[in-house]
Amino acid sequence: VSAAAATATGPHAATERPSTLAVYRDDGPLARALGRALPREIARRPSVLLALPGVLGLVAALAVGGADTPRGAAAAVLAWLVAWTGASSGASHRDRLAWAAPPLVRLGEYAGLVWIATLHGGAAEPAAFALLCALAFRHYDLVYRLRHQGATPAAWVDALSLGWEGRLVLAFVLLVVGALPAAYFAWAALLAVVFVGEAVVSWVRHSRGQRTVEYEDEEDEGQ
Amino acid sequence: VTSEVRQTQTQTVDPPRALTGATGVAAAPRRRTAAPVAAAVVLATAPARDGGGPAALLPWEDGTVLSRLLGQLSGLGVREAHVLTRPAWRGAVEAEAERAGGAVRVHAAGAVDGDLRRIAELSAQGGGALVVLYGDIVTHREALAGLLADPRIATGILAGGGATARPFAFRVRGRRGRLVSAASPYHAVFRPTASFLGVLKVGPGDRAALADAAERVAAVTRELPPAWRDELDRKARMWRYALYRAAHGEQYSDADGDADGPGPEADALGEDDGGEADALPASGALELSDEDEARLRERTAAAPDDAVAMLLVGMIRSGAHVSLSHLRALYWARTLSAGAVDSARHEITGYDEDRVLLDSAVKASDGFFTTFFVSPYSRYLARWAARRGFTPNQVTTVSVLIGVLAAAAFATGERWGLIAGAVLLQAAFTTDCVDGQLARYTRQFSKLGAWLDSVFDRTKEYAAFAGLAIGASRAGDPVWLLACSALALQSVRHMADFSYGAGQQQVIGATGQPPVEQSGDTWSVAADARRAARRAEIEAAAAAGRAPAELPETAAPAAPGDRVHGLLRGVLSAWHVVDRLGAVRWLKKMIAFPIGERFAAISLTAALFTPRVTFVVLLAWGGFASLYTLAGRVLRSVVR
Repeated sequence: VSAAAATATGPHAATERPSTLAVYRDDGPLARALGRALPREIARRPSVLLALPGVLGLVAALAVGGADTPRGAAAAVLAWLVAWTGASSGASHRDRLAWAAPPLVRLGEYAGLVWIATLHGGAAEPAAFALLCALAFRHYDLVYRLRHQGATPAAWVDALSLGWEGRLVLAFVLLVVGALPAAYFAWAALLAVVFVGEAVVSWVRHSRGQRTVEYEDEEDEGQ
Repeated sequence: VTSEVRQTQTQTVDPPRALTGATGVAAAPRRRTAAPVAAAVVLATAPARDGGGPAALLPWEDGTVLSRLLGQLSGLGVREAHVLTRPAWRGAVEAEAERAGGAVRVHAAGAVDGDLRRIAELSAQGGGALVVLYGDIVTHREALAGLLADPRIATGILAGGGATARPFAFRVRGRRGRLVSAASPYHAVFRPTASFLGVLKVGPGDRAALADAAERVAAVTRELPPAWRDELDRKARMWRYALYRAAHGEQYSDADGDADGPGPEADALGEDDGGEADALPASGALELSDEDEARLRERTAAAPDDAVAMLLVGMIRSGAHVSLSHLRALYWARTLSAGAVDSARHEITGYDEDRVLLDSAVKASDGFFTTFFVSPYSRYLARWAARRGFTPNQVTTVSVLIGVLAAAAFATGERWGLIAGAVLLQAAFTTDCVDGQLARYTRQFSKLGAWLDSVFDRTKEYAAFAGLAIGASRAGDPVWLLACSALALQSVRHMADFSYGAGQQQVIGATGQPPVEQSGDTWSVAADARRAARRAEIEAAAAAGRAPAELPETAAPAAPGDRVHGLLRGVLSAWHVVDRLGAVRWLKKMIAFPIGERFAAISLTAALFTPRVTFVVLLAWGGFASLYTLAGRVLRSVVR
């Protein structure tokens, strides 16, 4: 593991910055609010205990209803997922199984977004693939940028990306208003431009900072 | 402890061609030599065995071992060097420093606590990275460069060997690329994983921690606590035992890194269920030859001056993040006698440094397909690229372009397109291996490069998915749902890997370190406690007239929870034991479905069958791999 990741997870960083696992979760305001509302005694429990029931509910709905699930039932399942898995953001991230929560969150999000597309019909599936591509870029970037640059994306990008639960809610709204294939494509394009653009800008800034240091070094060497 | 000849790795020697030699320069690829380390502190405090001065001043060609090392350091951009020595040797060392030229300052102190205080002072003043090392080390410039010039290592050590120890090197224990424990003359390490080769690089951010550690250790060395004395005695008995075993042919294997037995430093004590300090034969029972007695005296005489090993323990015990840079197959020795210098000179000139560097550029942790079907030739592509002056980032860019072409070919949906895509995807994967090997071979690591490499790997894979799905739709068999599922599964699997790694780092960071005053590390203290409990139990059983074998494993009556825990622990250790069978280890790697296997599976199924088959295979293999790794991780998290 690189030194950058180490500094990010180091004891000094822990107090100022959210933990690495919290960054990986990619929670939005709604999930964080649910997490803060957790009673103290539940918040001490492992986060996976809260994240798991939510995702299991979604998996059960996929197995039972699949693409033919009525919209009302789908809304209830998504609400169940957001409530449980969202609330897990406020639970312990320091226990032995703390690592299990972020991949569960991701599974819930991706499976939920694809499921919403299938509720619309086969025509929305390519759009779901496009949306997943854009989101996958963000999630890999969260990990790799923290590891190699020691930084996370800018706050406005986090706000614009809504968090995983915000995206599920928006996707369902888009389904209900009948905007689906087109809206998913447009959304994917917007997110792709924002995510990739901001990542490139951050690297340009970062390497510009590095270059000045190197330049000074060379001058020193020449003396 | 064994003869100096044995400390070298046995290696077939290709025709001599050193990179730094006159013949090698023209062919050598560009290597970056920026100024990564500002200052060096070189310890010329270990006495030469034959008397008459410090081992660092033993002659080497026109100069000495010390001047050779100072030359290597300044060649690596180290701007100032401080040589610490004893007052009696000051004059000789100063004369040598003057000959070496450059900014070399000599400091003399009467004993190791003086050395440590000087290091504390030097560390507290000035900025930039600092390297602390022994002046009697003979190794390749590239071995030093691997640690000093790697920007990814802020604070780290040069480490060698796997399971076996090396003479004059103390043992360390690493976990996930980070040191969690280290040995010194006065400190024991539990289940060591590598050897500390006497070079410690301290990043700018850790210089204050180094100064603190040096002050602290200096204070303790002024009056040795009983625990430290006991540990040094134990080490001396261990070294004697190792020499005795070596002389009687039961030598620990230093030749290959696969040996499982503990080396002499690997602490008879360190093995959980193995012997303990009391189990070492009494010194009187182990007669050594005069030559070996001299060697043992040399070793025990040098031990109390081992300031660098003590500093490393101090750093780790203060919670600093110390990484490892591996020597790999390069040569390293601490030469404490004229004979040792001779054999070192003989060994090091016989090394084909370029060959070793090229071989070490291949990642050791790669999967089956990558190791056997790509790396054997990709390393030569890496060397070719290095000679043509290509940068790793250029190769990465070429790789992603080929990947996009592969996706476009897949998107045609025709048979020729699927076959062309399969071939192009393999070409993209090969170039992807080349960029990493090129970066390691030419030491051109950059943070942006690492980010680009990782992001483009994912881009290639998911672009191939998109291409296959588009092609399938054109061919009249839409598979978008399968494509979405495959993408989601692979991303979630990656997220689980990252998350598990972060969780492990969190655990390592949260593990408390005992103070330097304590000899044993966290784990050896726990093991001692387990042994003491076991011994008390046996004694109690003997008093009650029962055979100890009838006793259960634990002193307390085993609760059902304990029994389950013990069973799981047994499953885990059996799981690790089968790794010793090479075939099983490779099979386990393949089951986990690493990138080489994934790309091979995509290419093969796409070229021979249809995109639908590709996605079904990816989902089935990936799904099985998820369950497999998940089970292992949950087990390890629960049992720990």
